[in-house]
Amino acid sequence: MDERWIRRLNTLQIVVVAILILLPIAWMLLGSFKPSSQVTAYPPKLFFAPTLDNYRQLFQTTPFAHYTWNSAVVTVGSTLIGLLLGVPAAFAVSWTRINWPATVTLLARMAPGTLFLLPWYLVFRELGMIGSYWALILTHAVITMPIALWVLLPFFDSIPRSVLESAQVDGCSVPRILWRIALPLVMPGLVVSAILAFVFSWNYFLFALVLSNGDTKTLIAASFNFIGEGATYWGALMAAATLIALPPLVLAFIVQRRLVAGLAIGAVKG
Amino acid sequence: MSQSIGTRRQLYALSTPAVVFTLALIAFPFGYTIWLSLHEVAMGAAPRFNGVANYAAMLRDAEFWNGLWITFALYLLSLLLQLVFGTWIALLLHGAKRLSGLVRTLMISPFVLPPVVVGMMWLVILDPAIGAANWLLQQGGLPRSDWLASPTWVIPTIALIDTWQWTPYVALIVLGGLQGLPPNVYEAAQIDGASRARIFRRITLPLLLPTLVTAAILRSVDLLRFFDIIYITTQGGPGNASNTLNIYGFRKGFEFFEIGYASALMITLSTIVLGAVLVLTQARKRVAW
Repeated sequence: MDERWIRRLNTLQIVVVAILILLPIAWMLLGSFKPSSQVTAYPPKLFFAPTLDNYRQLFQTTPFAHYTWNSAVVTVGSTLIGLLLGVPAAFAVSWTRINWPATVTLLARMAPGTLFLLPWYLVFRELGMIGSYWALILTHAVITMPIALWVLLPFFDSIPRSVLESAQVDGCSVPRILWRIALPLVMPGLVVSAILAFVFSWNYFLFALVLSNGDTKTLIAASFNFIGEGATYWGALMAAATLIALPPLVLAFIVQRRLVAGLAIGAVKG
Repeated sequence: MSQSIGTRRQLYALSTPAVVFTLALIAFPFGYTIWLSLHEVAMGAAPRFNGVANYAAMLRDAEFWNGLWITFALYLLSLLLQLVFGTWIALLLHGAKRLSGLVRTLMISPFVLPPVVVGMMWLVILDPAIGAANWLLQQGGLPRSDWLASPTWVIPTIALIDTWQWTPYVALIVLGGLQGLPPNVYEAAQIDGASRARIFRRITLPLLLPTLVTAAILRSVDLLRFFDIIYITTQGGPGNASNTLNIYGFRKGFEFFEIGYASALMITLSTIVLGAVLVLTQARKRVAW
C-alpha cells in the first residue's frame, strides 16, 4: 500500500473517532430541543421542528435557577478558598523544597470521597452545618486546593532563583515578593489553576449529595432528582444536562492546551 | 545563597493556612475514618471499640466480595479499553498533519463534562425500549440489548461509557509522549528498512511504556473509586450487579447508617487504590529510559 493511501485511511479513522466522540453530545443537544411528543419517539427522530419548550419547562417546574445559584456560590467560593490557600503554599513549597504538605493533599486525590464524607458528616452534623453553604464550600475546597497547589508548583519552579533573591537583597519581604514579583510571572498558571478548580468543583457530585439540603442543593446533586422524573420529561432532562455541561465546556476550551497536564496533578512529580 | 531564618519563617507562615486546612479537612478525617472503622458506631450512642470486628465481618460478607470482584472487573476492563484505544488514537493523530488540531479540541469535551451529565446523556441513549443505541443495533441486524438494565451487560456498558469519556484523555497523554520521543531513532530504523508494525513493536512501544504507565496510574485512581456514573444510572443495580466497593460503602454509610462498617470498607478501598498506585509507580521506574 502506498504512502498516500495510508494517509487517507488515517484521516478516515480520525473522522470516525471524532464522530464517535461528538455523537452522544450532539444527541443530548438535539434531545433538549425536541418537542415532547418526539423525544420518546421510536425509531428516534433526527429531523423535527426545534423548540425551547424543554428549557421553559425546566425553569417553570423545577427550581433550576435556584440550583444554579447554589452551584455558583459553592463553586466560586471553593475556587477562591482553594486559590487563597493553594497559591502561597505552592510558592512556599517551590522555594523551600519541603514537599510533604503537597504530598499530603494527594490523599484527597487517592482516597474515595466517601472516606472523607463519613467523618465530615458526623462533624458537620455535630456543628449543625449540614445543609449550609459553608459545609459545601469547605469540602469542595478539598478538591480545589490541591489543584491550585499542584498546577502552580511547576510555574513557580520556573522562576529563576536569582530574581527572588535579588528582590530580597533589595529588602522585599517574602509575602511582598510573592505578590509583586512571583504572581505576575505565574499569571498563566493562575488562570489555568482557577479554571481547573472551577471545573472540578462545579462537576463534583458526591459531597453535595449528602451535605446539602433542598435549599442548598447544587445543580449536579439536583440532577439526581431530575432523573427520577426523567421517565416522563426526557426533553427537560436533556435541557438540564446541556445547561449544566455548558460552563465546564466553555472554560475548558479556553485552557485546552494546559488541560491535560493540569489534570495529571501529582503524577508528573510522582 | 542560603535561606535566612527570617525568610524561612515567612515562607512557613505563607503555607500555614494550607497546612492547617489540609490537616483539618484531609489528614484528620482520614485518621478519624480509620478510628471509626475500629468501632461500632450507632446513631445516638457513643462509638464502642470493637477491634477488627468490622473487618472480620467484611471478610464474611458476600456483598463485599461481590463488590471487590465488580470493582476489579470494571477497573481492568475499562483500563484495557482506554489504553488500547487511547494509544491507537494518539498514533492516528501523531501521523496526521491536518485535522489533528481541530480533533484535539473536540477530544477535550468528553472528559470535562460532569460525570453526572455523562450518566444522564447515556441513560437516554441506552434506554432499552426507545434508546438510540438499540435502534442502531437493529439497523445493523443485531439483537437489542438491555444495556444498563441487564445484570450481565451492566458492567461492560459502564466500562464503555467511561471509555467514551476518558479515552480522549489517555490519547492526549500518549500523544504528548509520542511527541517527546527522539526522532533520530525512527530515522535509523527507517533507513534499516524496518516495517511499520516492527517499528511500533520494537521502538515506539517500549519508549512509550513510561507514558502508558503514567496514564494507567491516573486512570487507576479514578476507576477503582468509580462512583458518579454508577450512582446516577444504576445505583449498584440491577440487583447488585454494579455494586462496586465505593457504591457499597456509600450506601452502607448513608442509607443504612452503618458508619463503622462503611469506614472499614472505605479504608480497605483506599488501601487498594494506594497499593495500585505504588505497584504502578514501581513499574514506571522499571520501564523508564
